[in-house]
Amino acid sequence: MSLQLDFPAVLERWPSFLAGAVLTLELAAFATVLGALLGTLAAVGRGTHNALIAGACKAYVETIRNTPLLVQIFLVYFGLASLGLKFSAFTVAVAALTINVGAYTAEIMRAGFEAIPRGQIEAAEGLALSRLQIYWHIILLPAIEKVYPALTSQFVLLMLASSVCSQISAEELTAVANYIQSDTYRAFETYIIVAVLYVILSLVMRAGFWGLGLVLFPRRRRLGTPL
Amino acid sequence: MTKKTLLGAAAALCGLIMMAATPASADLLDDIMKAKKIRISTDLAIPPSGMMDSSMKPTGSDVEVAQLLAKDWGLELEFIQTTGATRIPNVLTGKADIIISTLSVTPDRAKVIDFTKRYATLQSDVGCLKSSTVKDWPDLKDKSIGVSRGTTQDTTLSNMKDKDLKIARYDDDATMVTAAVSGQVDCVASSATIINQIGVKNPSRVFESRIPLATFDLAIGLKKEEPRLMDKLNAWINENVKNGKLNAIYKKFHGVELPPEMRS
Repeated sequence: MSLQLDFPAVLERWPSFLAGAVLTLELAAFATVLGALLGTLAAVGRGTHNALIAGACKAYVETIRNTPLLVQIFLVYFGLASLGLKFSAFTVAVAALTINVGAYTAEIMRAGFEAIPRGQIEAAEGLALSRLQIYWHIILLPAIEKVYPALTSQFVLLMLASSVCSQISAEELTAVANYIQSDTYRAFETYIIVAVLYVILSLVMRAGFWGLGLVLFPRRRRLGTPL
Repeated sequence: MTKKTLLGAAAALCGLIMMAATPASADLLDDIMKAKKIRISTDLAIPPSGMMDSSMKPTGSDVEVAQLLAKDWGLELEFIQTTGATRIPNVLTGKADIIISTLSVTPDRAKVIDFTKRYATLQSDVGCLKSSTVKDWPDLKDKSIGVSRGTTQDTTLSNMKDKDLKIARYDDDATMVTAAVSGQVDCVASSATIINQIGVKNPSRVFESRIPLATFDLAIGLKKEEPRLMDKLNAWINENVKNGKLNAIYKKFHGVELPPEMRS
C-alpha cells in the first residue's frame, strides 16, 4: 500500500491550528505560574512543624501524584457543575492543571529545600539576617536555582499533558487536530503537523525559562556557572 | 484510518474471497428458506438499538425488528454479533444474511451493499433543557451547544458560520451526555434518542428536541444482486409500517415516534 501525504489539504486550516496552539500556550502559562505558587506553598507547608498543615500538604501531594490527570480534570469539570458552579472549559482546565502541576512542583521544591546545607542557614543567622531575609535569599532562591532544570521540565511536561483538556471541550491544539482529522480524513498529516507544533511550543517554553533563569539568578548571568 | 479506507479494504478483501468461491448459490432467499434460519448482523453494544438485558439476552429496537422478521417468515433467528465497522463485511463474506443494525443509508455504503426501504429513521436535533426558552437558531446565541467531536452534527453546526454558535466538543457521546446531565451545557446537538436519554439519567434535567437538524434513513443491508430477497424484505417493511408494528418498536426503545409518514 503506497502512502500518499497531502499536507496542503490540512495546512489550509492553519488559522485553526494557530488558535489551538495559542490556547495550549495560554493554558500552560496560567497553570505554570499558579502551579509554581501552589507547589511552593505546599512544599513549605510540608516542611513546617505544624502536623496538621504538614499532613494536609502531604495528603494533597500524594493524592494528586497517584491519580491520572484525566480523572482529576473530569472530577473538577463535572464535580463543580454538579454542585451548581458553572465555569468555562478554559477556567476548569487551568484549575485542574494547576492542581496537578502544583503537587509535582511541591515534591521538586521539597528536594530543593532539603539540599540547602544547615550551615548556610546558621551562617545567615550569625550575620543577623531577619527571618524573612533568610527565607528569601538563603533558602528559597538558592533552592529554586538548584532544582530549576527539573522544574522547567515539569512545566514543559504540563504543557504537553494539557492535550487531554480536549476531553472537556477546551479547544486546545489536540482538540483542533481531532476535529480537523475527522473532517478531512487526513489523520496522519494532521498529527504530524500537530507533533511539530508541540515541539515548537516546547522550544518556545524552554527559551522562555532560560531567559527567566538569567533574570532570576544573577550568579548564572555573571559567572555563567550553575550553583 | 478513515471509514472510507476501511470500507474499501473490506470490499477489496471480500471481492477476493468471493472470486475464490463463486458462485456458491444462485439465490440467497432460497438458501435462507431451505436452512429455515436467518442470520442477522446486529451490534449488541449500542443501546437502545442493540444491547443485552439483565439476563444477558439480546434486546433493543433492532433486536425486536429482527425477531419480528424471523417470526413473520417462520424462521429460526441467529444473531451474528458485530461492531459498527464489521457490519458490512459480515454480509459481504457470507457470515450473515442481512444487516439490521442502525445502518444509515449513505452513498459510500451503497457502492458495496444494497439497501432496502427504510424501516426506521435516525433524527438528529438540537435539544435543550425543558425549562429553557430556545425555539429557533437566534435563541441559541451565547448558549454552549454540546456535540460529539467529528459527528455529522458537529460538522453541520460548524459549517453554520453565519449563526455565531458556541460549540462545546466532547470526544464521545458518553462525555457529552455527562456534560448535559451535570449542567455544563444546556443544549446538545445529537440524535433524538440521546437527547431523551439525558432526562432518564437525571430527571431534574430533562432535555427536549427543539430544532431539527437532519434525518437519516435506517435500512436493512444485504449483499448486492439479491433481487428476490430485496423484494421480500421491502414488502415486509411496507406491511409493518402500515400495521404500526415498526413504529411501536421504535417508540418502546427510543421514546419518540417515527416521522408521521412512517406511522400507520
